[in-house]
Amino acid sequence: MEHHSASVGVLVVGVGFIAEQHTAAIHADPRARLVGIVDLDAGRAAAAARANGGVPWSTDLAEALARPEVDAVVVCTPNHTHAPIAVAVAEAGRHLLIEKPLATDVAGARRIAAAFADAGRVLMPAHTHRCYDYARAVKEGLGDLGRPEFLRLAILGGWIWPDWRAWVLDPARSGGHALHNGVHLLDLVTWWTGDRPETVYARGRKQTAAELDIYDYLEMTVGFAGGATALCEMSRGHRPATYAARDVLVVGEHGVLTLPWDAEASIVTDESGTGLLPPAGANGFAVQLGAWLDAIGGAEPLMTPGDGVLAVAMGVAAERSIATGEPVRVDDVLTEAGV
Amino acid sequence: MTRVLLAGFGGLGGGQDHQRAMYLPAFQAHPGFTVVGAVGADDLGVPSYPDLATALADDPAEVVSVCLPPDQRATAIVTALRAGRHVLADKPLALTAEEAAAAAAAAAESGTVCMPAHHQRFAPAVRSARAAVAAGRVGLPWNVQADFLVAGGDPCPLGELTNLGLYPIDVVAALVGQPVRRVHARASGDVTLLLLDHDRGLTSTISVGRISGTADLRPGGLAVHRYRISGSNGVMNVDATKPGATLRTSTGVRSAWTGPDTVALMLTELHAAITGGRPAEVGPADALAAIRVVEAARRSLEAGRPVPLSPDSQEGRQ
Ligand SMILES: NC(=O)c1ccc[n+]([C@@H]2O[C@H](COP(=O)([O-])OP(=O)(O)OC[C@H]3O[C@@H](n4cnc5c(N)ncnc54)[C@H](O)[C@@H]3O)[C@@H](O)[C@H]2O)c1
Repeated sequence: MEHHSASVGVLVVGVGFIAEQHTAAIHADPRARLVGIVDLDAGRAAAAARANGGVPWSTDLAEALARPEVDAVVVCTPNHTHAPIAVAVAEAGRHLLIEKPLATDVAGARRIAAAFADAGRVLMPAHTHRCYDYARAVKEGLGDLGRPEFLRLAILGGWIWPDWRAWVLDPARSGGHALHNGVHLLDLVTWWTGDRPETVYARGRKQTAAELDIYDYLEMTVGFAGGATALCEMSRGHRPATYAARDVLVVGEHGVLTLPWDAEASIVTDESGTGLLPPAGANGFAVQLGAWLDAIGGAEPLMTPGDGVLAVAMGVAAERSIATGEPVRVDDVLTEAGV
Repeated sequence: MTRVLLAGFGGLGGGQDHQRAMYLPAFQAHPGFTVVGAVGADDLGVPSYPDLATALADDPAEVVSVCLPPDQRATAIVTALRAGRHVLADKPLALTAEEAAAAAAAAAESGTVCMPAHHQRFAPAVRSARAAVAAGRVGLPWNVQADFLVAGGDPCPLGELTNLGLYPIDVVAALVGQPVRRVHARASGDVTLLLLDHDRGLTSTISVGRISGTADLRPGGLAVHRYRISGSNGVMNVDATKPGATLRTSTGVRSAWTGPDTVALMLTELHAAITGGRPAEVGPADALAAIRVVEAARRSLEAGRPVPLSPDSQEGRQ
């Protein structure tokens, strides 16, 4: 592997399911190089280090952050660990790309944002959907539609999670589904409209099992200050478990954009039934890494710490709305968390 | 032949005339019906009557197609039913739930057919979906997402919630058959969003409105009309703008409907109900249910929060 002294040395923390996407993006971008791996689980850390050209690994974050070749950090650990890890990264003076949600509550998200403001380093929450082709196309299409009135974004699928022991199913560790996956959609519709979210009305459903502590199906209705409404559905509760569909609809003052479930993929019918075959597209994680490296280089960031805090507040509002059955004001959630 | 009296040529205002535009041609084209009289028009080549009472006293029609202005509609429907006639009622069948309930009671008493013209539930894709859902094809339905977006055309003075809203509300009811208990509504520009809580924990969401006209559709055409039904064992994505061919020429793109006409299908059901001596597949109770949802939606829009379907009931807080 070629080593550019000018390239950004990146440490990856947490090498579970999603980390591979980030390491692949790092390897593919000449402006970055992987310089280390951290995971609490030594076996995983060692295996990931081996799979990535024998880079140094550790189970101790502080020790890894002290290494001079670490310029920046990508964090892919469970959601509840984000706040302490991110603050440590800021205090070590490193840049950070952190998996969503920024934190599992507004106070944690604010603490992270403040730590990076103090440190003068780049903090980017990984709202990866902004980096997907479809999301960029919709953002562009909005230019022709004029003022947006109604938006629909559905990301629907079946059960892809492990069993009862998975941290994702534990609201204390994941923040609940509105925080865990909901933030992707809440952030995206906010980015699309370029408007300030005022209220969230959400309905949740424990579809796969009544005994779940999280809502595997979420419907979150966001009311924006400019009057637009966005309806976001996030599901891991659809059947069959292989179901995977995305749907976008945007009504603007000059017309309507539709990107229905069958608009992007080929449709394949084989012995197991009919399914979708998504086309080869740009890699969102590579685009995201590029945007982060651009920001480290001084460019306008694609996602700001404020975006991360706001998405967390909207997720918290959604969870609360499900519990109360009433719309929740995003400002109330932001205010009560203090500044 | 079943004889039809056309009563009224108004709509919801704005120059709307559903009688002339929709029902008259459909009755004329249907082999089972013949138009024998009219109240409020003298250019149709059939006897013309000054008012409904005179017509009912004199006219031998078995069916009255009621298209009077909305404020006279419910009274006329009750009058026709009490005179032992069958009724096809333009939608909305009434302006208030109270009026709709009176029509339902009159129909129950008369034993004749009273059909609200909720013709969108006769859309071919909706009909087959309804049968498939009822047969358990997706298991137990737990959510419906619907979009009913009309492109261009004349805005309705009574508001599109009353005008267009009834259609998807009625289709969702036909698809899942679970009564609505709680309603949350939010208006944004031309689109109103209805978030409904039904029995059995089923939820549905409907976007409805008249949006900007688009180059590929005639004014008032349906830009988006679809239903996604999620069930315990599968998902059904129903595009009610199908079946259609796409026609691309040097002057533009348009969709050419390749299915049967929904109003014709509705009249076939009306005829079958009349001759079979049975209630129609869609009746005044369905109109009442849809109007109650619209009324609750208005209350929710005013309150800015979800409301129970009936103003005094506690069912909304389940
Ligand atoms: N952007 C996306 O599309 C996307 C997709 C999936 C997951 N995610 C996010 O990525 C993060 C990781 O998710 P995952 O599915 O890969 O989880 P995972 O459970 O598969 O992996 C997490 C890894 O972190 C390690 N870990 C746990 N606590 C740690 C700590 N304190 N310090 C160091 N390592 C620790 C675990 O040992 C494990 O190897 C989550 O925040 C999740 O929300 C994002």
